[in-house]
Amino acid sequence: MIDILLILLSISLLYMSISNRLASYLQILVLQGLILFGTTYLTLTEVNTLNLLLIMLETLVFKAIAVPWFMNYVIKKNKITREAEPYLPNFISLLIVTLIIVFAIILASFMNNEHLDKTFFVVAISTIFTGLYLIVSRKKIITHVIGYIVIENGVMVLSLAVGNEMPMLVNLGVMLDIFASVLILGIFFNKIGDVIKDPDVDLLSNLKDN
Amino acid sequence: MEKLLIEIFNLLTLAALLSFPFLNIKWRGYVTLGTISTQVIVALIVAFSVFTNGLAEYAYQGSWVTGEIPVRIDYLSAWFILLISFTFLTGAWYGFQYLKKYKDRTASLTLHAAALMMAYTSMIDICVVQNGFAMLIVWEIMAISSFITIIFEHEKKETLKAGINFLIQSHVSILFLTIAFMWVKVKTGSFDYEAITSFTRSQSALTSLGLFLFFFVGFAIKSGFVPFHTWLPLAHPVAPAHVSGIMSGVIIKIGIYGILRMLLLIKTDMTTVGYFIVTVSVITGIYGVMLAIVQHNFKTLLAYHSIENIGIIGIGIGLGCLGLGAGNNILAICGFGGALLHTLNHSLFKSLLFYCSGNIYQATHTMDIERLGGLIKKMPHTAYLFLLGALAICGLPPFNGFVSEFFIYSGLLQGITSAGHAIPTLFYLFAVIGLALIGGLALICFTKVFGIIFLGTPRDKTIEVKGPEKPLSIIPLYFSGLMILLIGVVPFLLAPYLVKTIQSYIPSLNFSGYLQLESLLENLTSIGWYSLGFIVLTAVLYGIRLLIVSGREDLEDNTWGCGYTGDASKMQYTASSFVRTYRKLAEPALLIRKEKQEATGLYPVTINQVTHPGDKLEKWLIDKPLRFVRKVLNSFAFLQNGKIQAYILYGIIFVGLAILLPTVVAKIDVLIHFLNQF
Amino acid sequence: MISLILILLASLFFMGIVVRTKSITSGRKGPGLLQPLKDVLRLLKKGSIYSKTTSFIFRIAPTTYLASVLMAILMIPHGNTPGIISFENDFVMFAYILSFGKFMTIVAALDTGSSFEGMGASREGLYSMLVEPAFFILMGSFALFTGHTSFQSIFSLLHFGSNISYMLGAMATFVFVLIAMVENSRMPFDDPETHLELTMVHEVMILDNSGFDLGLITYTTYLKFSMYGALIANLFIGRLPLQYSIPLFFVTQFLFAVAVGLIESFRARFRMGHNPQYIFILSSVAMLLFFGILLLTGKFI
Repeated sequence: MIDILLILLSISLLYMSISNRLASYLQILVLQGLILFGTTYLTLTEVNTLNLLLIMLETLVFKAIAVPWFMNYVIKKNKITREAEPYLPNFISLLIVTLIIVFAIILASFMNNEHLDKTFFVVAISTIFTGLYLIVSRKKIITHVIGYIVIENGVMVLSLAVGNEMPMLVNLGVMLDIFASVLILGIFFNKIGDVIKDPDVDLLSNLKDN
Repeated sequence: MEKLLIEIFNLLTLAALLSFPFLNIKWRGYVTLGTISTQVIVALIVAFSVFTNGLAEYAYQGSWVTGEIPVRIDYLSAWFILLISFTFLTGAWYGFQYLKKYKDRTASLTLHAAALMMAYTSMIDICVVQNGFAMLIVWEIMAISSFITIIFEHEKKETLKAGINFLIQSHVSILFLTIAFMWVKVKTGSFDYEAITSFTRSQSALTSLGLFLFFFVGFAIKSGFVPFHTWLPLAHPVAPAHVSGIMSGVIIKIGIYGILRMLLLIKTDMTTVGYFIVTVSVITGIYGVMLAIVQHNFKTLLAYHSIENIGIIGIGIGLGCLGLGAGNNILAICGFGGALLHTLNHSLFKSLLFYCSGNIYQATHTMDIERLGGLIKKMPHTAYLFLLGALAICGLPPFNGFVSEFFIYSGLLQGITSAGHAIPTLFYLFAVIGLALIGGLALICFTKVFGIIFLGTPRDKTIEVKGPEKPLSIIPLYFSGLMILLIGVVPFLLAPYLVKTIQSYIPSLNFSGYLQLESLLENLTSIGWYSLGFIVLTAVLYGIRLLIVSGREDLEDNTWGCGYTGDASKMQYTASSFVRTYRKLAEPALLIRKEKQEATGLYPVTINQVTHPGDKLEKWLIDKPLRFVRKVLNSFAFLQNGKIQAYILYGIIFVGLAILLPTVVAKIDVLIHFLNQF
Repeated sequence: MISLILILLASLFFMGIVVRTKSITSGRKGPGLLQPLKDVLRLLKKGSIYSKTTSFIFRIAPTTYLASVLMAILMIPHGNTPGIISFENDFVMFAYILSFGKFMTIVAALDTGSSFEGMGASREGLYSMLVEPAFFILMGSFALFTGHTSFQSIFSLLHFGSNISYMLGAMATFVFVLIAMVENSRMPFDDPETHLELTMVHEVMILDNSGFDLGLITYTTYLKFSMYGALIANLFIGRLPLQYSIPLFFVTQFLFAVAVGLIESFRARFRMGHNPQYIFILSSVAMLLFFGILLLTGKFI
């Protein structure tokens, strides 16, 4: 069952590479949140209320509900246009993400550590690198945050790869990261929206010294 | 007996060349044709006798430079002799007709005929000698004679430029081969090929791999593997059609012969070699066909397709090596068998396509696809033969291209199911994906070429298609076409020869190996029968159709143009528009220079859009480094100032340095010695 | 033999079910189930108009198209019973024989010298090139899973035990359905209803065909659909005895036809410029399927 969910996560990455609209990105983030909830729940070896509550909070509430809702709010408030503007054509994005997944498979098959669960490792590496690629290849600032959240999802899967259960510290770290980034982005967006009218990354370079 | 035949072979060329001064141009042509035909018969006798009687071996007493020169004709040589002879036969007969147009250029024609005979002789000799020095000499003769045959139309500047490019790259390849042979000679003291085997057996796998790489690079430049392919698309369009056909069919295959021969001789880690060759070949195949699609000159397009097919042959060779490395007999059989069969098949259908393109060029005097169209009505034989060649090169059943590609697919799929670890499985899957993509891209390319050149209406009305097709320009093509169909439908005719050649690679074929070989050959035979069945099915269905519609009346009208009644020939799809979507997808790998005029104003005016396809690898690997080297060397241009006094001054400086330098060095030595004492 | 008869039977009804589904979802009653077949028979009786620009190739192309699809159908097994043609690695011949038919139709479209048909021909070539790797990866994955390489042995040894194999089966069905939609140029890659310049792939290639040839081509499209339906049905039949497998076959074809009808009614067509990436994503998903099978067979632990 876990393998099924992880393969679904990879398919969602592929779909993300060819999406045109920001709304699709948010829908995929919701889907990824739900998949992560399923995965972490199934890998729990002991079900006590604190763990369960924490996991539900992190994945279901945060990743699947709160963050996409908040992003939607930011998009509507700043009247950001609906399209994700990539630098490269979508076909090449698809090729690159496919290649990332393939390289992750090849990389994982060279590793011989018995503490490492390889399926998790492959999906984690491909998610992290796809998130990085999303940041690099899109023009809008909001897609930076979306890419960042995808990286967070990848880190969560990676932590499942090395341990059998979600260590407390990683949980708290991930939550803090999400919190900080989304909150800061929200604040800045609300302020930036007033000062600079265009939520475009190129214009951020206007802030240079010279 | 073979020794006598090979000697007769060489003497025939000599005799023909010696008779040239005494004949007029027409008789020189007949003598060339007769000599090559006789030589083909002699070569075929040699090849078949080796296949039936076994390996032939003898030796010549060489000089102290070369050592003894053994000549061994084994199955691999016999296979290649078959291939080369067949293509030269059709090439010579077609060339005879093709060159009739240039009757008055007697000097060029004589040189060309002489060079053609030299090329054939030297190539057969390359296949039989087994001494490094002799091989290099014959290889050089082949390179120079091919060069002379290419630059037949040397009054055109591009011909000369492409020819010189070919010559320089040939010599780079000879450089690599020389280094490799010298390495073996220095370490073992003998030029004989067997010394290579004993040398590599005694060295570490890494040294043998290095030696193999030198040989591989030398032969790869000749074959046209990427990134050494840049001479191919330049040399093919400028050469006369029969030479292009011979070049693509045979000269490139000599490189493949070299690689296959070295694989027999060099004992090294076959698995690494296999991975390396398959990677290079997949890249070659895909790159070749990706660039072929956007070309406008149909001969350049066919040249890039040769690069793609060399890639397919390379995939077969690499697969065979992987099989040898893993000890898996089926992989080795499928790999080498597929590669050898595809070598033969490619020479057949590529030469056919080039001869058809020669016919097109002589009828219309243009090589630009965009200006042609509707030629099927004026040149039906050429058109249908071109269709046959196009179907064969895409690897479609029922023709021979499919048989060899199927052989390679069988091996790769067997590799997927039997490999133990994930990495080889993934690798075989990539080779399968590569082959599938190559097939799909070739389909796009050849539907474009065949459709735009022969079908539809003429796109440039100023081109006048000259007269009916001469019989001699079609009969050699029909001969090739018949072979293509035969190999596609009854491949078991070639099976015994192929099996013997493959067996030279797998010395220890045990009983289960024989069973696997038998079942694979049965598969191929059944493919042949099913292909025949397909042809019969089509014929039967068409017959039924004719019966049913026989009573009805068929009307003829113009093509539906959505109500537009004007001249629709300009509205047809051009080649650039056919591949436009593909070009936009593949833009990062291609180098296209576009010249566009924008449409301005309200009323229609004539506007133009031209695309010039270039080669990115050529730009980055050859043009840019050459420009850089030229810039660096130009800064020394002041040295060449034309005054003779300056040159004498250079001489004086050199002699002075030559005398002074040892003295100065000795003094510096003393000084250092003195300083060291403190 | 049995596979051939079943596929021919299914092709008679397939299109009728698709059209009926589309009508019902639009609120209409719709034509009878045999109406598409009656259309084909009507076309076969008519005379033809040929364009002056065309040559013999235009006249023989529909016949070769039908012959190639028939040859391909001869290779498809029915569960445990092999097709009339069956040998190791026969799916390679399957794919290439279908390519032969495609080559001839593309060339026949260029034969008319019309810009519409050239457009359709160029798109058809490109899309079938992009979808070929998906088919090969899929069959390669099945070969890896079962350890055999002919259609018959792959499908008869295919079984679903663990959870992950069900999911892989679902993914494989999804990819097969979409491959069928791409090859037949249906929604969401092309809209066969409209004949506007921007949408046409297959429908426009046959614009100039008429009469008997058009009837042949239309019937071949139905055959191709039921051929892909047979492949999908084979995923589920496995080793069942005939009295179960034949009804299962027809049920799968029926469900496939209904699914096609539903997709055509409810999805919009993709923008034509975006089609290549949507087609290539099939190959990427097939790649993930291969990875899943690597996991399943334990070669990648």
